Amino acid sequence: MTINHHPPEDLLADFAAGRLDDADRLVIGVHAAQCPRCRRFIAAIEQLAGAALEQANPVSMADNAFATLMARIDEPAASPPATASSRSVQPLDDDLPEILRSCRFGKSRRVAPGVKLQPIILPDTDKSRAFLLWSAPGTRMLEHTHTGTELTLVLKGSFSHEGGEYRPGDFDFGDGDVDHQPIVGSDMPCLCLVAMSGDLKLHGWLGRLISPFVRL
Amino acid sequence: MEWAELIGRVAAHGDRDAFKLLFEHFAPRVKGFLVKSGMNADAAEEIAQNTLLTVWRKAAQFDPASAGAAGWIFTIARNLRIDSARQAARQAKALDKAAVSAERDEAPEAVDSPETMMTRRDDVSRVAAALQRLSEEQSTVIRMSFIEEQPHGEIAERLGIPLGTVKSRIRLAMARLKDLLDD
Repeated sequence: MTINHHPPEDLLADFAAGRLDDADRLVIGVHAAQCPRCRRFIAAIEQLAGAALEQANPVSMADNAFATLMARIDEPAASPPATASSRSVQPLDDDLPEILRSCRFGKSRRVAPGVKLQPIILPDTDKSRAFLLWSAPGTRMLEHTHTGTELTLVLKGSFSHEGGEYRPGDFDFGDGDVDHQPIVGSDMPCLCLVAMSGDLKLHGWLGRLISPFVRL
Repeated sequence: MEWAELIGRVAAHGDRDAFKLLFEHFAPRVKGFLVKSGMNADAAEEIAQNTLLTVWRKAAQFDPASAGAAGWIFTIARNLRIDSARQAARQAKALDKAAVSAERDEAPEAVDSPETMMTRRDDVSRVAAALQRLSEEQSTVIRMSFIEEQPHGEIAERLGIPLGTVKSRIRLAMARLKDLLDD
């Protein structure tokens, strides 16, 4: 897989520092799992963070902290709670990257002709939402911009807009400064993993007309 | 003191003396690091405790060829901090009954920590080499901005540069790190 489009470095750094919310972290994590170059960048930030930890001003622990910890170590490790594998809803696609396979999915729904959306249920989804977006070959998305941010990772197929062509592994970042109209490749459907905060703003009279019905 | 060697001794034969040295060095630093980032002292103490507990339990997974000891311990503390923020959010939601949908109520830890990705050894030597070639000032500016989350005003003051150039310094440092990693 040749990856041509990568997340901006500040997102990788925020990922390494542990400052992204669940949805954004999921998208960056799935990209990095496929991208040695971004993994190296994240590892570099983690090493810098380690150096910062070394130089942090120590704050004393409680007097009995070490003894308490040793007592906990001598207890048998609590077996992790059985992960609920009772997945009620099947993902849109049964051939997903490993990290996504352990996710829980909501019910998929049609958001526009040739476009299906399946929410990913995350523990903390206050700021942004994550979902799979499936689009039929040749779908023209409506020209849109964003009130928040949109992180998109191509899992299958391709799409293109003025930023270039996006194929599996490629990452696309959109925010209020980006105004684009993606077109899905004509040869096969396109499956993307998306994290979105805020809303889409659709342009043109058609966009304004249908935006109440397009629920992304 | 070679921290990696001490972690190795914990992994090899549960060496409690080695572990005590690790605890005494790292637990107060993890706590200090978290307090500085705005966490209250009790919560920071708990995460520092759990970080060292994880160091004990996962010592065998530490690969000195793949990461520095402090970087590895940072990633443990980071993941625990994410988990605890998540738990707090869930509890807050549970209190606000109206906001709890049945679906979310039973949602397990859906994301199995996307951060736990293996970095290959050849990547590791490239990371180490790149960090060595990054200038002191550039690694400082990245650290202050992304890890310590210092406001730009403070960064300007500490580096003795005008406020207006902080942003471009950060951008330059990030670009430089990226180039060094691509070499």
